[in-house]
Amino acid sequence: MKFIKVMFIFIFLLITIAGCAEQKLLEQVGLTTLLGYDLGENEKLSTTAVIRQVNPEFQSNVEIVSAENETARGSRAEINRKTSKKIMSGQMRVVLFGEELAEDGIAHHIDTLSKNSDTSGSIIVAVVEGETKSLLEYQFQEIDDIGTHIYKLLEQNIKNEQMISSSLHEVAHDYYSLGRDIAIPIIKRDKEHVEISGVALFDKGKMVGKLSTEESFYVKLSRDLYDSAMFEITIPKEALPESQTKNSPEKIPVVIDTINTKKQVKLINPQTPEFDMHITVNGRMLEIGANMDLDNPKNVKKLEEEIGKSIAKNLERVLVYCQDVNSDAFGLGEYYRSSVRHSNLTHEKWHELYSTAKVNIKVDFTILRSGIFE
Amino acid sequence: MFKKRFNRSSKREKPSIDANENKKSESNQKENVFPSSSKDYLQTIKDHTNNPSDLVVKTISPNITVTYMNSLVDDRTLKEQLIPELIRHKFETPESLKSSLFIPEVDVDDQINHSVLSMYNGTVLIHLDGFSQVVLAKITTTVSRALAAPENESQVIGAQVGFNESLSSNESLIRRYIKNPELCNERFNVGKQTNTTVAFFYIKGIASEQMVNTLRQRISDLKIDSLLDSAVLAEYIDDNSLSPFPQMLLTERPDRFCDGLLNGKLGVIVDGSSMAILCPHAFIEFFQSREDQNLRWPIASFLRLLRFSAVFLSIYLTPLYVAALTFHYEIIPQSLLVPLSESRALVPFPPIIEALLLELIIELLREAGARLPTKVGQTIGIVGGIVIGTAAVQAGITSNILIIIVALSALASFTTPSYMMGNVIRVVRFPLILLAGFWGFYGIMLGFCFILIHLIRQSSLGSPYTAPFYPPRFMDWRDSIIRLPLPFTYKRQKSVRPQNEEKYQPEPINPEKS
Repeated sequence: MKFIKVMFIFIFLLITIAGCAEQKLLEQVGLTTLLGYDLGENEKLSTTAVIRQVNPEFQSNVEIVSAENETARGSRAEINRKTSKKIMSGQMRVVLFGEELAEDGIAHHIDTLSKNSDTSGSIIVAVVEGETKSLLEYQFQEIDDIGTHIYKLLEQNIKNEQMISSSLHEVAHDYYSLGRDIAIPIIKRDKEHVEISGVALFDKGKMVGKLSTEESFYVKLSRDLYDSAMFEITIPKEALPESQTKNSPEKIPVVIDTINTKKQVKLINPQTPEFDMHITVNGRMLEIGANMDLDNPKNVKKLEEEIGKSIAKNLERVLVYCQDVNSDAFGLGEYYRSSVRHSNLTHEKWHELYSTAKVNIKVDFTILRSGIFE
Repeated sequence: MFKKRFNRSSKREKPSIDANENKKSESNQKENVFPSSSKDYLQTIKDHTNNPSDLVVKTISPNITVTYMNSLVDDRTLKEQLIPELIRHKFETPESLKSSLFIPEVDVDDQINHSVLSMYNGTVLIHLDGFSQVVLAKITTTVSRALAAPENESQVIGAQVGFNESLSSNESLIRRYIKNPELCNERFNVGKQTNTTVAFFYIKGIASEQMVNTLRQRISDLKIDSLLDSAVLAEYIDDNSLSPFPQMLLTERPDRFCDGLLNGKLGVIVDGSSMAILCPHAFIEFFQSREDQNLRWPIASFLRLLRFSAVFLSIYLTPLYVAALTFHYEIIPQSLLVPLSESRALVPFPPIIEALLLELIIELLREAGARLPTKVGQTIGIVGGIVIGTAAVQAGITSNILIIIVALSALASFTTPSYMMGNVIRVVRFPLILLAGFWGFYGIMLGFCFILIHLIRQSSLGSPYTAPFYPPRFMDWRDSIIRLPLPFTYKRQKSVRPQNEEKYQPEPINPEKS
């Protein structure tokens, strides 16, 4: 009898609540692939959405709709009024912020996006030089689907470690954690292309500074670890033995493929505060602008030293700039917080300390391979 | 649940029936014995058999009467051996007749019922005037097709012989594989009307005695009307007849059957059925083929993994499609989004209707193919595959991605070596599609849990159905979804509870020697 009762209840529930789940049929939803936020007029938020439309008549096309409203949800409703399909954000891959809005503060948006269960944590966040609306609405000749294009552009560069990873998850982590600030890529339109032009530095939720793409390498070097990135560096001619640098320019360019990096940060003086940052880089040399005899271990040693020095010098320069704009993209605060007990660190307190922080940077560079000659 | 009730009621009824029978047999003791005079004997036989047209009564010499069923007796043996011998010699007693007959199965009996019944198994009754006993000489003729390759369980490498419908030839096949006096063979008569012979095989010293007793009890307790096929018997004697999952293997391969016996399993063969029952059989073993033993172990392991993943593929692929397209567009990979939505754009139905429609078409094709004669069946396959498949897409009734998915899951379900299990896998998909269409992944998970709990609750002849995974028997994993080399699998499966766990004493593996 129990069996029959259970089966009866089961079938009863099956029939009665069969239609209760909200259906989102694939062909009936408009899939937002990219969302751009700008600062609109009168403190309003201007939203531009790239929506993928699939119609049987004209295969698939991309619709760009924008709306202005006080809130993100409000503009979504407004966009919904302009499209034939229900707008859904489950397939969203990229969120862009206009420069002006970024300087005004993106904290609210990061909070909203993280709270929305529809959006995944792997969304890539980036800043646009100028306005997102003008970037998205520009009719690129060779780009069909601007949403997917920007996503692939950013994803590819992040995967190859050419750019700091800026998934929503990581950005939210940086935002909420004490002693680490957000650093996300900046993109811009360059004639008929979209390109990554640098890195935006944030102080809490506000954009405070910019670094070039070359400099972004050093931010990433001190922030994360590398496995496979390639970078270019110059070393002064004088530093190398004269016999090796005939017919070479004043500054010799060297291209290095990083194989792995190790980073050690130690707080040695909590008062100032003073840090010791020791970075070990193992790399493979791809190109060098001088006819050096790399079979000679002495030359190699010298070259390694010089590259290490050069990296350290550049790193220091970037660090000073970051301290200037008061953005702790290096995450030094985390080391401080984990080394000093009962520090009762707050964001303000740390940033006061940070601006006066001293970092002794030491870079050990090792060339593992320098190419094969036949 | 139902099973328990069934058991309880049968227990209640059993003693009363036994008591009745006892009383009857006591009172009828005298009537059951043959009369000694030839004339009365003939009358008795005629009374007990309703005098059918194929009953032959012959008086060979004044005191010897022979009765038999014409259709069941081997004519040649009768004419060339039995009757000349009866004419040549003079017999004093049935005992001396028995000892001088040169026929393998000869017996002396005085019970009418038993003797008459044995006549229907091809026995010749020889009555000597003046004795109340008859000599039973069994010279059965078997009407059966020749041994042929097993059609439902074909394999590439290995023996190409299958059981046929004759019990004696099946028995001989088994005896040829296992030449061992420990191979026990018990007989039962099942079915009030059909009196079907059921043979029960096991190897003494390997098979668990408790299981042998259980199965023997289950078969001998059966009070059924008729038994025409072993599949029916399997349903009568298995642990839970309500479950869609078969708990006993039906095989037509003698090598698979013998492999089971050698591993401590019990086998049952029903006269007139070309399928033998093998039990206890765990769920995982339905996806193993005898061929796995014949192949090298890495290849066999790969094939087993392939088959097992095919089960999941077959069950979950279509529901996943339905759930993803109805509720969870988020999980569709970006590269698949465009082709998927483009192919869906023309379809007028929601995914659940679309999927059910196509699954039904595939099932119809399969069923039509199975019912039609072989030659026509192939044509139906082509017609169904090409015409319905392409036409359905062009007409915009289904999306072509779904066609791929449905065809793939149908294909995957056919890789199961047991046809019975393959059927279950195909049918289980339908409720899951419904659940996926109603509640998406939640529905699929609900269905999955339901199936999993159901499987864990099942048992096969008392041994756990989901062994060796639940309860975990790590030693048995060596021969489950993978097959390790033979030296590693020298132990019998624990879930069968064999009396002798080791097949043989393994030699220590010495890599230097080889």
